[in-house]
Amino acid sequence: MAIAKALPLATVPSPFLARRRRQLLLAVPVFALLALLPLLVRDVYLQNVLVLTLMYAALSQSWNILGGYCGQISLGHALYFGIGAYTTSVLFVNFGILPWGGMLAGGVLAVLVALLLGYPCFKLRGHYFSIATIVIAEIGLLLVHNWDYVGAAMGIQWPFGPDSWATLQFARDKVPYFHLALGLFAITWLVTWVIEGSRWGFWWRAVKDDTEAAQSLGVEVFRSKMAAAAVSAFFTAVGGAFYAAFVSYIDPESVMSFRFSLLFALPAVLGGIGTLWGPAVGAAVLIPLTEITRSYLGGNGSGLDLVIYGVLIMLVALARPEGLLSLLPRPRAAGEGGR
Amino acid sequence: MNRRELLLGGAAALSLAAAPRARAQAAEVPVGLIYPMSGANAQIAADARAAYETAAEVINTAMDLDLPMARSVGIPSLGGARLKLIFADHQADPQKGRSEAERLITQDKVCAIVGAYHSSVATTASVTCERYGVPFIAADSSSPSLHRRKLSYFFRPAAHDEMFSEAMFDFMDAQRKKGVKIETIALFHEDTIFGTDSAATQTKLAQERGYRIAADIKYRANSPSLTAEVQQLKSADADVLMPSSYTTDAILLVKTMAELGYRPRNIIAQAAGFSERALYDAVGDRLGGVITRSSFSIDLAAKRPAVARVNEIYRAKANRDLNDNTAREVMALLVLADAINRAKSTDGAKLREALAATDIPGEQTIMPWSRIRFGADGQNTSADPVLVQYVGGKWVTIFPEAAAIAAPVWPMNG
Amino acid sequence: MTTQALLQVLASGLLMGLLYALIAVGLSLIFGLMDVVNFAHGDFLMVAMYAAFGLWFFTGLDPLLAAPLVTGLLFVLGALAYLGVVRFAMRARSNAGMVQIFATFGLAITIQGLAQFLFTPDYRSIGQSWLGERTINLGGLFLPLPQVYGGVVSVLTFAALYLLMSRTDFGKALEATREDQGAVALVGIDRNRVFALGWGLGAALVGLAGAVLAIFYYVHPQVGGPFSTIAYVVVALGGFGSIFGALVAGVIVGLIEALATTILPPALKSIGIYSLYLAVVFLRPRGLFGRL
Repeated sequence: MAIAKALPLATVPSPFLARRRRQLLLAVPVFALLALLPLLVRDVYLQNVLVLTLMYAALSQSWNILGGYCGQISLGHALYFGIGAYTTSVLFVNFGILPWGGMLAGGVLAVLVALLLGYPCFKLRGHYFSIATIVIAEIGLLLVHNWDYVGAAMGIQWPFGPDSWATLQFARDKVPYFHLALGLFAITWLVTWVIEGSRWGFWWRAVKDDTEAAQSLGVEVFRSKMAAAAVSAFFTAVGGAFYAAFVSYIDPESVMSFRFSLLFALPAVLGGIGTLWGPAVGAAVLIPLTEITRSYLGGNGSGLDLVIYGVLIMLVALARPEGLLSLLPRPRAAGEGGR
Repeated sequence: MNRRELLLGGAAALSLAAAPRARAQAAEVPVGLIYPMSGANAQIAADARAAYETAAEVINTAMDLDLPMARSVGIPSLGGARLKLIFADHQADPQKGRSEAERLITQDKVCAIVGAYHSSVATTASVTCERYGVPFIAADSSSPSLHRRKLSYFFRPAAHDEMFSEAMFDFMDAQRKKGVKIETIALFHEDTIFGTDSAATQTKLAQERGYRIAADIKYRANSPSLTAEVQQLKSADADVLMPSSYTTDAILLVKTMAELGYRPRNIIAQAAGFSERALYDAVGDRLGGVITRSSFSIDLAAKRPAVARVNEIYRAKANRDLNDNTAREVMALLVLADAINRAKSTDGAKLREALAATDIPGEQTIMPWSRIRFGADGQNTSADPVLVQYVGGKWVTIFPEAAAIAAPVWPMNG
Repeated sequence: MTTQALLQVLASGLLMGLLYALIAVGLSLIFGLMDVVNFAHGDFLMVAMYAAFGLWFFTGLDPLLAAPLVTGLLFVLGALAYLGVVRFAMRARSNAGMVQIFATFGLAITIQGLAQFLFTPDYRSIGQSWLGERTINLGGLFLPLPQVYGGVVSVLTFAALYLLMSRTDFGKALEATREDQGAVALVGIDRNRVFALGWGLGAALVGLAGAVLAIFYYVHPQVGGPFSTIAYVVVALGGFGSIFGALVAGVIVGLIEALATTILPPALKSIGIYSLYLAVVFLRPRGLFGRL
């Protein structure tokens, strides 16, 4: 790689740190180029697809922290997404608190809920854990669906206002949302990068690979899982807050249904689970595929768009069971560093 | 439904997929239609598609019918330009509805958007239209919250759910005046916007007009089983059962009532599933005497001759009669075409002006409405609903008396 | 609520629960064999219901008689799903479980799309069956015959399944393969063949359930959704891989679902099932009868 070659080798203390620095140096131009993308893509519809792609990249990156690095496969992250979306909407619509505050509040609330739920749930293993996460998220959906204060089935409509970064409302312009989603993705990426090099990162991977062995080596398994869940839930809720501002209308089904839980996990699996760039690569393939098959083939209602979409998903999964990142000529995926 | 129809349906789906895109004509006015083309309500969208194609046929070809834009070819003031329908799939997701509306406006340059069945999707799509200055016509989204948002590009020719519920209670009041005993009602509604809105209005009306609510059952849409819910209805044994359910749950409700030996004395339904043919194909024999509110009644043909002809065209496409939803859809497109003609333009602001100035007498509709004239909020207040009763395998208008063809069968089982 | 109404709720819950067990057991079987959660399970159910409907529609065959045909058809579908999709997903060196979820999710969407394409999204239901809409009235306690038939089929199937797993070579091969996939190769058992047969059997069971369900439930391309959620909970509650567990858990879920409506608002009745699942696994992390 050109950037890697440009590095003065003498300053690199070890191969592991060298690779981490390379990752960071690679990320900077990638994010910079991404930020310029709206200059190329002027079409509002395609910009919308890009916003969704970046949003799901960020959300999948958040999911990846718990699911990919720590190995706890949650299929209930729609709960945290919903907490973020609803906290932000309720605070903004009922109390006039700007979505930036709601974003933070939603994130904190999601962390509390994640810790509360993690306490009993992290005793569960494998599929028992996954089903428990599905079930808890469904309970959350049903409660919100019947909770009049938050609009129940009616949902919450954000008031119309002028374009503003304070309220995150832009009537036609998608570019601000694009940059916001990009920022969100960049932050989740950076957090993941920091974690990879930290003690937590090593602990989580140890928990994922072999929980018993990790325990015997002195890794605090339970605390590791709780920490991963907290970080993951926080950013998922922030993503939910973004989505609420982006759509400016939420209802229970449109932010808390199981579909979302799956959509957070799928890009990571598709791109490469437990890797730095996997969720982004997965989202970059999956989300445009989803949107474009629906928009350009779904209008006739024949169901063929679903067939094409489903077959493509199967093909990708089967052709590259390790994730799309494994197509890269590198011998080892980035996230496997440090083993 | 018979075997041939099923085969035909499959063949139609095949040919639809294989057909090359129709060659663009010189003068076309693109109109966007957003519907749940896939997912649990995809059949609604399939029927809607046939309804809009029916309306487009009425507009685009010369027909001797007393309907807006029927006698001319296309839009006369735009040199006979034809309406071109562009359908998009929103999958019942407000976000997708919004982005599809945006795509139709910016890429396909549609002059208006019509939709969207789900009120949640109509919420976001109509806001998008407002932001782009393009009219949104709610053909069949009936949540009253929609027209209360003071959108200036929102129009709804048909009634909203409160008007429907009021008609139901007006009917019961009229029955009472005739000396029929109606004391208790049972509400049975799903947990969506449609169901909860409907039940909230009915609860309010029941309290105002002195009906006791013997049971108020909110259930989860698409439940695998409704046994326990129906058991509660049976225990309550109200004089009138008032369901607000879509087709799937309506089928299950009727079957479960039969299984548990519960025969309600009367059913007055909030349309939806109770105006869909699939329900009557499945359990029609158990639904003799069921009453539903409606925007439309097929026996209106006796008073408005255009109804029969439009229904014929629709039947040829969809293999079923027009119903509450599909009639509203046909009418929505006719209203739009009328406005485009008067606007002499597809410009959003001019079209909005023309829509706001709409004044179509009831005789020029296929509906029982007295007229189409929009209030400042975009709601047509003259869209009087009717109640129809399923008698001998046919729909008969029974209320209001001005529109009624026959007296109601009460109780429903005679 | 009167005693009679309560009895009615319990009876209906029991019958529905037996059917839930039958829907779920195939999922549990496949899971026990190879640790795969099949996300297309609900769509297998949908295919089976369409098959029963189609046979009745085109040939007038009563769904009672169509059941063996539907079961056979689903056996083929299940085996093909393994040979055509899951087998490849299992090649993943890491996270095979997630890859399988992903692949079967793709399969589910494909099946739904095909159903919409071939059958249109209209709601279908079988008009006539011997049992259709008949009900036994035991002094005010109503037992709908289609559900009673479903319950009987379910119990018989579980008995047959028990015999199959404990008394036949095929059952022993399944058992051995799930115990130790490497070792069975040494004794000449073709792992792929056993897996394909296991998937066939799992799908055949849900096929049977679909043939029963189609008598009294409507069919459309999305009909599998609500049932598959229940099936996952039943399987996990009973303990992954435990056939007996699926039976017990199915019945419990059916009863709790019915009873929950007497305490909770009906729209929240699923919370009863979900809470029960959580309560059980928090106390007993391997479900009622699962192995860790």
